[in-house]
Amino acid sequence: MNLAARDLRRHLGRFLGTSAGLGLLFAVVIAMQGIYAGMIDDATILTRTLDADLWIVQRGTLGPFAEASRLDPTLEARAAAVPGVTRSRAYTYQIIQRGVGTSQYRLALVGLAWPEDRGDTIPLVAGRELSQPHGEIVVDASLGLAIGETIVLAGEAHRVVGLTRNALTSGGEAVAFLSVRDSQLVVNELPDEAIQTERQRTLGRLRQTDLGRAQPALEELPVDSRWSPPALPAPSISAVLVNVAPYRLDDVRRVIAGWGDVTVFSTGEQRDLLLQGVVQKAKLQIGLFTVILTLTAAVIVMMVVYNMMLEKTHDIAVLKLMGAPASRLVGLVFQQAWLLGALAYALAVGLGALLHPSFPRRVVLTAEIQWAAPIVVFVLTSLASLLGIVHAIRVDAGRVLES
Amino acid sequence: MEAVRATRISKTFGEGDTEVRALVDVSLVLETGTVAALLGPSGSGKSTLIKALGLVSLPDTGRVLFQDRLVVVDGVAVADASELRRRYLGFVFQKANLVSFLSARENVQIACEIGETSTPRRRALELLDYLGVGHRADAYPETLSGGEQQRVAIARALANRPSLILADEPTAALDKGRGRAVMELFARVAHEQGAAVLVVTHDHRALDLFDVTYEMEDGRIGPPSGPRPPESGS
Repeated sequence: MNLAARDLRRHLGRFLGTSAGLGLLFAVVIAMQGIYAGMIDDATILTRTLDADLWIVQRGTLGPFAEASRLDPTLEARAAAVPGVTRSRAYTYQIIQRGVGTSQYRLALVGLAWPEDRGDTIPLVAGRELSQPHGEIVVDASLGLAIGETIVLAGEAHRVVGLTRNALTSGGEAVAFLSVRDSQLVVNELPDEAIQTERQRTLGRLRQTDLGRAQPALEELPVDSRWSPPALPAPSISAVLVNVAPYRLDDVRRVIAGWGDVTVFSTGEQRDLLLQGVVQKAKLQIGLFTVILTLTAAVIVMMVVYNMMLEKTHDIAVLKLMGAPASRLVGLVFQQAWLLGALAYALAVGLGALLHPSFPRRVVLTAEIQWAAPIVVFVLTSLASLLGIVHAIRVDAGRVLES
Repeated sequence: MEAVRATRISKTFGEGDTEVRALVDVSLVLETGTVAALLGPSGSGKSTLIKALGLVSLPDTGRVLFQDRLVVVDGVAVADASELRRRYLGFVFQKANLVSFLSARENVQIACEIGETSTPRRRALELLDYLGVGHRADAYPETLSGGEQQRVAIARALANRPSLILADEPTAALDKGRGRAVMELFARVAHEQGAAVLVVTHDHRALDLFDVTYEMEDGRIGPPSGPRPPESGS
């Protein structure tokens, strides 16, 4: 006869209530781990999906995910000329916030080097990659936009042609993929007044030159919207992504690292920098919360089990007087704690499946979390049972005779 | 056959000015199939003797044998007390002391399981039927009357066919009629099941049911006497 099951059956309501409370606590712990794993996954999706061997960034910087990295666009051609390089692409990265109607979008704009890179390595769940260098955009489904809808950036309508899922930054912003040229237009967007002022200043300077006076038709040039005023800096790029022929990686890296204006990282290094720089604090914070919540859960389980044993002190004394071996009493404590933990864990998993999709941050229950969580619950409940076991062992059978 | 033999057992609590000699050279022999009463005023050492024989609080000196097997000598149990209790002893208390979260049948069954009886469930139901509470097998302790609880407790005490049943004031919480019925059960159990039953009691109304009566005073036990006629009104 299983004494633990009999006791729980007798006090089912209270046991279920306790399990529910504990389950909520476990659900929070698991969700926090899932959020952290989601942050890692989100943060690294930007390096994973672009399928590059080397990242070339501005000298002395750690790359676009850590800080502003500005490179001359010609670097793309320079990198392509290095022996062993099979592919060289410009890359831009910028986080912007735009209002559309009553909603505010926070977007991480990733510029793809059209036509070399149309987004063919991006995992799409709907639609297609870019098919033209202007006016098309691939966005994450979390934005709620559908294929064919448009989003206005830098005064231009960009049609959504593809959707990704879970392409988010470590900060939770949805990633949008568009051509480098379009992303530069968005990043360098100026207010109309600033453009008008710059055009008038350019016209004034032109009219003061012999060329301007001799060629009045040149005055049409500054009012062409495709023309960039020379006083403004040329649009830069954030990085150049390089793919290298097999077995040439070290050679290519050595050559590029010798250039005075750039720093070069492997994709792994860029990923690590991304995690260290962006996720480190979140990791510490979530880790601390997890430790506190786990200890809280342990204390709660310990007190619940201990109180259950306190209530059963008399029954334990009776069982001892009947000759029940210590193993049977220890089994009673352990089994109750394990049942409590198992039910609470099941509830936490069920709650997670129900609620995690509604979380503002993506919750990823990795394989590690899925196998570690029940083990942690098992160990936790086992350790928390020790106080109850000590009590059960120390109960004096003789107290039955005194009652 | 001797169910129990205690030879010159003594037990002292405290020391110096607070020393209390609860048992003083107590010797006692109970044959199997005997129901014995243990009488005496409060503080005379009856419960201490029950605890000593029940291996709950071992005597400081003296020897205890169960069925000719030496189990306690000068304050030391020769084997695990739990194992000895499982094998030789059954207990009935003033309160039934049933395990609260087990039904009547389960209370008896768990005792059978602890004693490693081969068919514990069947044995439990047989015992409940034997003691007239088979129809209450699935009832929980709080729904049983005092008399029913004591019958279940007796069934539990019989679970492992003990050679000695120790009963500490088992009728104190019962009215006269139920009290006598329980005492009759003890006599029946002793005679039919072959166990020795030692009952601590203040109830002199049912002394005619006992084969042997012992009296204790100041930690000492008197010689055994035969059945006594029932006293009324005490």
